[in-house]
Amino acid sequence: MKKLILAGAGLVALIVLPAVAAHAETPWIHVRVDEPEKQTRVSVNLPLSVVEVALEAAPEMIESHGKLHLGEDAQVKVQTMRKVWQELAAVGDAELVTVESQEENVRVLRKGDLVQIFVDKKGKEGQADEEVRVEVPVSLVDAILSGEGDEINLKAALAELQNQRGNIVTVREKDTSVRIWIDEQNAQD
Amino acid sequence: MVKLAAVLAVPLALLATVASLGVVVVDVREGGPDGHRILVPAPLVLAQAGLAVAPNILEDEMRIPEEALEHMPLARELLEALIAAPDGELVRVEEPDEQVVIRKEGDTLIVRVHGKKGEEVSVNVPLTLALSALPDSQGRLSSLAMAGSLSSLRFTDLVEVHDGDTHVKIWVW
Repeated sequence: MKKLILAGAGLVALIVLPAVAAHAETPWIHVRVDEPEKQTRVSVNLPLSVVEVALEAAPEMIESHGKLHLGEDAQVKVQTMRKVWQELAAVGDAELVTVESQEENVRVLRKGDLVQIFVDKKGKEGQADEEVRVEVPVSLVDAILSGEGDEINLKAALAELQNQRGNIVTVREKDTSVRIWIDEQNAQD
Repeated sequence: MVKLAAVLAVPLALLATVASLGVVVVDVREGGPDGHRILVPAPLVLAQAGLAVAPNILEDEMRIPEEALEHMPLARELLEALIAAPDGELVRVEEPDEQVVIRKEGDTLIVRVHGKKGEEVSVNVPLTLALSALPDSQGRLSSLAMAGSLSSLRFTDLVEVHDGDTHVKIWVW
């Protein structure tokens, strides 16, 4: 009788555990926008599988006719981005771009596994008014730009996201902070 | 006595049949405990029958505009992916006097809103029903698919709104 119970329990475990494990390993992409002055917080959590479907079904959301949409007025040719990125890969860790002007200072660095972008906007009297910090994993940019011609490699990017854990993008402005990260939690702290 | 039993048996059996097939109940209360109350129970089978016998009206009159139609495949794929996805909290918006939470539990999308003046809104969207309500590639709505999905709504609270002295609740029993 005891053997029968043990065999039954083992069978149940065999059936249930893979399903539980598969659920536990589902990567979730999280976005958090904090505006402390307004006491506002927006949190979005999506299973990566849902994001994949959206991007695969509508890749034009981020790219069309070989151009990445980086804002309302900013469009960059994918080919140009790829060339620049390949050049930068050969350089290794370095400060890639430095722009200093009366309005803002911009620095782009490649440091270890991250591409870091620092933008410091100046106020009327030249004091720091707003700062933007963006950190993107190098491997993610590698994957996005691993295609050919004017195409971005969405499949590779999605595959890379499946392996990524931790911060993907962080932006810190004067009164707003945005963080995008991936983990296996279905909610935020 | 036997006659009375026979007379009562027919409506009771009919009532039991309707109840067993499901009833949509709309309950509206206004003006607090001494105010009005409107309670409308509608047999689910009536809605299903209506959808089943009037497909032409839905298909001809309720066509989706071309601009919206091109996004339908994406909407369908997203809904299917969401149904297959694990449960969790999808969206939380917190402001000093307002909170919105959207979470997925099973195949239901649950929306909870705590408003500025104490209003509470609770909406449960069955994703399978939403999926069946999407039009096909020609922009036609499938009334039969919707009628079929309605039967999966048994024992579901669809909408509940508390706003001051007004309370509205729609559920399927």
